[in-house]
Amino acid sequence: MPPSIHPVDLITALRQKHLTPAIVFLTSRRACDEAMETFDHADLVLPPARQEAIAVALERITVQHPSIAEHPLIPLVRRIGIAAHHAGHLPSWKIAIEELMRQGHLDAVFATTTLAAGVDFPARTVVITQSSIRKSRDFTDLTIGEVQQIAGRAGRRGKDHVGFAIVTPSPYIDLAVLTKGLTGQPEAINSQFTISYPMVLNLLKAHPHEQIQGILAKSFAQFQLNQRAELLEQKLDALHVQMEPFGPRVCTDWITQWHTFDHARRHRHMRHQTHRSESPEISARLPFLTPGRVVGLGRGRGIVLRQYRSKGQKNSMLTVLRPDSAVTECPVTGVKEVYDRTYDCAETPTYPWCSTDTFDRLSHQLEELPSHVPVLPILVSLGIEPLPDAIVQSLGDFPCPTCPSRPACQKDFATASRLRQEQQRHTKSIQALRTSLWHRFQERVEVLQQFGYLTPATQLTIDGEWARLIRIDHSLLITELIRAEAFTGADPSLLAGVLASLAHDDDRPGAFPRISPGLSSLLGQVRKLAESLSPYEDPPLLRADVAALVERWVADPTLTWIGLCRLTTMAEGDIYRLLARTLEFLSQVQTLKVTHPGLAESASQAITLIRRGVLEELP
Amino acid sequence: MRDTAVSRFARVPPVSLFAMTTDELETLLAQQPVALLHRLARGRVHRHFRAGKRRLIELLLQHSSQNRAGLESDLQTLIGERHSQSESGSSSVHHLPAITPKKASPRGTEPESAETAISLSGWLEGLGVPSPQPFVPDSWQNEALSALNETDVVISVPTGSGKTYVAVEAARRAMEDNRTVIYTSPLKALSNTKYTEFSRIFGPDTVGILTGDRQENGQAPLLIMTTEILRNLLYDAASGEIDVRLDTLGLVILDESQYLADPERGVVWEETIIFCPSQARLLLLSASIGNPQDIADWLTSIRSTVCRLVRHSKRTVPLRAGYLHPNGKLTPLFRTLGIPYGHPTHLHPETKRLFLEYEEETLPSGRPRR
Ligand SMILES: Nc1ncnc2c1ncn2[C@@H]1O[C@H](COP(=O)(O)OP(=O)(O)O)[C@@H](O)[C@H]1O
Repeated sequence: MPPSIHPVDLITALRQKHLTPAIVFLTSRRACDEAMETFDHADLVLPPARQEAIAVALERITVQHPSIAEHPLIPLVRRIGIAAHHAGHLPSWKIAIEELMRQGHLDAVFATTTLAAGVDFPARTVVITQSSIRKSRDFTDLTIGEVQQIAGRAGRRGKDHVGFAIVTPSPYIDLAVLTKGLTGQPEAINSQFTISYPMVLNLLKAHPHEQIQGILAKSFAQFQLNQRAELLEQKLDALHVQMEPFGPRVCTDWITQWHTFDHARRHRHMRHQTHRSESPEISARLPFLTPGRVVGLGRGRGIVLRQYRSKGQKNSMLTVLRPDSAVTECPVTGVKEVYDRTYDCAETPTYPWCSTDTFDRLSHQLEELPSHVPVLPILVSLGIEPLPDAIVQSLGDFPCPTCPSRPACQKDFATASRLRQEQQRHTKSIQALRTSLWHRFQERVEVLQQFGYLTPATQLTIDGEWARLIRIDHSLLITELIRAEAFTGADPSLLAGVLASLAHDDDRPGAFPRISPGLSSLLGQVRKLAESLSPYEDPPLLRADVAALVERWVADPTLTWIGLCRLTTMAEGDIYRLLARTLEFLSQVQTLKVTHPGLAESASQAITLIRRGVLEELP
Repeated sequence: MRDTAVSRFARVPPVSLFAMTTDELETLLAQQPVALLHRLARGRVHRHFRAGKRRLIELLLQHSSQNRAGLESDLQTLIGERHSQSESGSSSVHHLPAITPKKASPRGTEPESAETAISLSGWLEGLGVPSPQPFVPDSWQNEALSALNETDVVISVPTGSGKTYVAVEAARRAMEDNRTVIYTSPLKALSNTKYTEFSRIFGPDTVGILTGDRQENGQAPLLIMTTEILRNLLYDAASGEIDVRLDTLGLVILDESQYLADPERGVVWEETIIFCPSQARLLLLSASIGNPQDIADWLTSIRSTVCRLVRHSKRTVPLRAGYLHPNGKLTPLFRTLGIPYGHPTHLHPETKRLFLEYEEETLPSGRPRR
């Protein structure tokens, strides 16, 4: 049996059961195109009347969108009444297919799941062939919301009594994900609020610094953080009640007192052994080597499962989860790097020192860890010395040994101390939840002050005044380039080329035209600056090849769309999107008319030059 | 191999099952086809579909250290089920131990219920085109429109319910009141579609579209743009550089508001909502999401009126789910005609069998395909 159904068989089955029109969601654009190709020789030809109807409808659409007139797929679509619809196509072609579908001329459309949200046409049936989709570089399971978004295309109001969602298996499918998706409640959505440099500049342009905290408090992010804080506050209230029996005794803060006493007592006991204790560097790390922490070892990385002391060992020991779910023991001195990343870890008292669920999850998280994880900076303080001798010696003077409430304290200490720790933890968390946005805002403010976009009094500087108009990704890099006069004298094609390389965030490989020496050296400059800014802003991909493509399009007005497409292996739809994104970036630069008239003029020329042919058709 | 497993069961009385040594359990697991292991692993092993057979067994054993009885009993149930499916009705079923999955399996697979599953012809019944009906707005549509007279409104309904009707009617009413309307969508492509659609409804002079570098009919009372463009307008307005007449703005419609949760662009929806002028009504249109009340409560907490939530989760055109086997055989996906909400495991027995077969054939050596 083939791993998945043949497209021709699929369509035949759907037609036979009157389940058309259908949208067939496939994993990739290539899958869609290949599915179309299988019809080349199939003998599934529409009756002449329907073919004619498609031709007429297409002609009507061509009036508005001339670029589809010669589209190479037209004969096939007309012959079989089936089309593909994905991001590799020009928007005008997609509009044409959507229109044909809406008018009921097509029996099926092959589309990619990634675009389920952008597919704005319904059908009687949707066919689902996968349970995961590519998000950035990884495959993730479809969420319930996504499955329902896909299934939502099935069943046209007024045209269908019922709609059908048909699952057909492929090696990529996990049926459980789909059945859960079809029968479940969609997930709650969460805020993804981030504070960008232009946001800070625009806020400070319109509002005094002291009002900003109030504005950030209006975000959905803060609303959700408050919800969490309120939950913790309820827990905190409950803890207060639980703490009641442990109020003041002979001394007000008997918990701390007992803690110190207890610690000193034990410490005295172990005093002669403290010689084996680690160097300050190592002991400064110890508090961070807690379960769930990602560390770098001599070979590869791992996740700490527990930290312990073993009798025969000079140093503290770690149990570490390694790739392939291996569990190893190593001394803390074997840790080469402590990374700024921890995962939740439900600890257990026995091997493998965490719950099975945690273990599985950590194994996967370790496998999927990005190749670069930031290192945690650790302050080495030489002050964390063992308890001073003076205290240990004065232990005899401690009130505890003779205190009347000593037995009660001894009995209650464990519980009381745990409750108090919880209280402190919650209090800290609540504080963090309430103020984290504000802190992030302040961090951004400091960077902007450092670069001279804001005065120490958080007013916009002259540069800040225009920089706030650049409200796109990589805004800091762009404004820094403008300040460094990198674009001075650059003609429209160079400017467009550089902005294209900033705007393009897809790393799909392809073959491209040669780059001009001028653009090449300018890109070198951009790359250097981007690297130096990397602590403050993620650097862009800066692909020279896409820059060259856009440069050609702007520099050579005689170049036709077909000619442009021939220069590269990129799909038409991708080229279109690249140019459209570049237009977006250019249009922001164009707003700097007052402060940078030359640059703005260059941008507006580039816009005019880009806007031709296919790019003229849509607003 | 299958036979070994079964005969092994035949010999071991059920009671001793819960006292298998780890080695015994491991051997038994190793004898099972990987598809069965995957089913066993559901709910037990995170992302089990990525693991190979060896690894799956390891993970299952690790997991079973906490609930050994549950695992063994589910395993027994699955083996029994497989066996009765492959030889349904034949005499060999009789020497299987009695299976009582309910007792010891907390999340075992659902037992086949006595009720019969839907047939294919029953499932396909009713398919067709309804006769034309006069347009009568749904009650939720009316509710949303009348609420909009007083307050902001969040709508969360399944795709295809008719959100556009509410948007169009609301826009019409605002314009009749001499107020302007802004409609945003997350994608330029969707903006273009809506531009065409709204121009057809209201006439081309009434509708305009704004992109970063271009305006078409920028002074029209109904403007379409992406949410980013509106955000930029609002920032410009806040700093006193107004481009578009925001003082007469009466209504802002944010379509596909579930984009609020988009990792890269979600923040733009928040900024837009925070800075939306207070005299304009906000209408958020969203597909079904889990926490629409949170969104409404949030709006209530930052806007001058109490935001009204209009939601429902029932699809207007009922949905049926099917399964199409690579050999062209079509079966209902679930045992019931409609979608068995809340019961993802109520699979049609025929589909269950076909899919099991498929998994076994495509994962022959237990090598994950991804
Ligand atoms: N009250 C109604 N009665 C009948 N059909 C309706 C009604 N409301 C909307 N429709 C139709 O339902 C279809 C889907 O509407 P649409 O607004 O595109 O859905 P949504 O935006 O919610 O996904 C449209 O064809 C529309 O004409």
